[in-house]
Amino acid sequence: MGKWRHPGPGFFPFGLAIALILLSLALIFKNWKKEKIPAPFWPERTWLRPLLGVAILIFYALVVEWVGFVITTFIFLVAWMWVIERLRWWTITSISVGTTVGLYLIFSVLLEVPLPLGFLQW
Amino acid sequence: MFQGLIMGFGIAFSWTNLLFALIGAVLGTIVGILPGLGPAATISLLLPVSLKIGSPVTSIIMMAGIFYGAMYGGSTTSILVNIPGEAASVVTCIDGYQMALKGRAGPALGIAAIGSFIAGTIGVIGLTFMSPPLAEFAIKFGPPEYFALTLLGLLMATLLGEGSIIKGLIMVVLGLLLGAVGLDPVSGSVRFTWGFFMLQEGIDFVTLAMGMFGIGEILINLEKELTTELVTRKVTHLWPTVKDFVESKWAIIRGSFIGFFIGILPGGGAVISSLVSYAVEKKVSKHPEEFGKGAIQGVAGPESANNSAASTSFIPLLTLGIPGNAAIAMIFAALLIQGVQPGPFLISEHPDIFWGVVASMYIGNVMLLILNLPMVGLWVQLLRVPYAILAPIIVLFCCIGVYSIRNTVFDIWIMGIFGVIGYLFRKVGLEPGPLILAFVLGRILEPALRQALLMSAGSPWIFFQRPISGTLMGFLVCFILFQVVRALWKRLGRKA
Repeated sequence: MGKWRHPGPGFFPFGLAIALILLSLALIFKNWKKEKIPAPFWPERTWLRPLLGVAILIFYALVVEWVGFVITTFIFLVAWMWVIERLRWWTITSISVGTTVGLYLIFSVLLEVPLPLGFLQW
Repeated sequence: MFQGLIMGFGIAFSWTNLLFALIGAVLGTIVGILPGLGPAATISLLLPVSLKIGSPVTSIIMMAGIFYGAMYGGSTTSILVNIPGEAASVVTCIDGYQMALKGRAGPALGIAAIGSFIAGTIGVIGLTFMSPPLAEFAIKFGPPEYFALTLLGLLMATLLGEGSIIKGLIMVVLGLLLGAVGLDPVSGSVRFTWGFFMLQEGIDFVTLAMGMFGIGEILINLEKELTTELVTRKVTHLWPTVKDFVESKWAIIRGSFIGFFIGILPGGGAVISSLVSYAVEKKVSKHPEEFGKGAIQGVAGPESANNSAASTSFIPLLTLGIPGNAAIAMIFAALLIQGVQPGPFLISEHPDIFWGVVASMYIGNVMLLILNLPMVGLWVQLLRVPYAILAPIIVLFCCIGVYSIRNTVFDIWIMGIFGVIGYLFRKVGLEPGPLILAFVLGRILEPALRQALLMSAGSPWIFFQRPISGTLMGFLVCFILFQVVRALWKRLGRKA
């Protein structure tokens, strides 16, 4: 933490922590007397679609290094548009193939960004 | 100064730079038109690949184009669909959409583009002439001055921003804390890494921004099933009539100057200036009852103001090294990635970057006028691309961008976590903008604070004793007092 004369690494975060406590108290105090019925946080299953999105993202992060960029990206797109959005199958297929190829060309070929290749090397 | 500008035009008129200015302008128009994808998120998407573009001038020219180009595009969606394409075009919905309902979408789009062009150019002229003297002045700044200025910027950004002030301040504190993760810049000890080796370098700015802005925004949009086909109406008669011009010329000029000054202010920017301009136009109008029913001044003023502010908000970045809002903070990060330290020495040490970017902004505004006036129908087609297709592609862009920085999936996890946090924050009314700004400014604020306290042997009075920082702190105290008094006044008024 250090002293005022010689502030150490914990000095600034400590000050911030105090500020955060004060602000939280202010927020509690401000809303203390308002007695209103809280609106449901996720009305009518609105949590479902964001949750599916996060699940597909987690799948992507888990698998991409092992299976490789091209296949995982394709599966990601198909999963997103099929499970979350329920688009028609030919829309899904064409967009997924097009996007996967497009992204591969832009990033790997044009910009030479190293992509996770996995055991198939693509 | 004129020598510099001539040199700048020499740089900006090279084929590569013209091409990237055009790419920036087109991308900016696109993200401006598309709701739910802002310039800050787009620039953060491009940060990882900006190194591949080559010279820093070229990549900053492109990113600047995205930023002010989005101001042009944002109005289109506001007017046609009544959804703000951009945060800075929120007020344009009010009268712009009413004009569209009355069959005057064309003149509304036209006056927005022309107003944007005039105001954008006025803003760039300001940037040209005010930056060099301001940078000269800022060379005298020491740690206390930087501390005072940064603090002022952060507080103004939250106080002037939308939503609850307390919530905004909470976001600022959280942003500063996140910025403290990693090696302490002064002593070199490791802070808040929880044993993760990958966190020693700190949380990467791009990762945080993509999570909070990109993923967070997508997740919140997933909640509502957006129907496709946003636009069905066809736009005709783009050119406003002489009467339209006469009615809106003062609104454009007033908007330009409002944007000009609010853009320079620390914490100011395009969003606030458009709100102020709308309020002013309503106040000075002889027919305030027409506002909300399709008054052309209600489109011309705010759309001019946000463009002017977008240009002048480069002034604090390029002369002081202090970004005033989240999108400019991205350009700050882009400069750092390229190994350029933004600050008072930028103009003298990297004249090519400063003058090249400034000159490109004159050219970019002309490009955008052409892109948005005769070609607006083309971009409107974009609103027909369903979000269902756009969303997964944006998420993939985020993943690739984050991965490419350090070639590790670890960063995708971090981004995902911040995405979920950003989503939940939005749900409870905490806006991520101040957090991102504070995250960047924390790297200036903390060392400045500690160095200043070392200089003064521990006395916090140093911030009030030096003339420049004293003035700034005095201004800060007045501003806070004003806000507190106003809040108390309101509360008392409600009880009485």
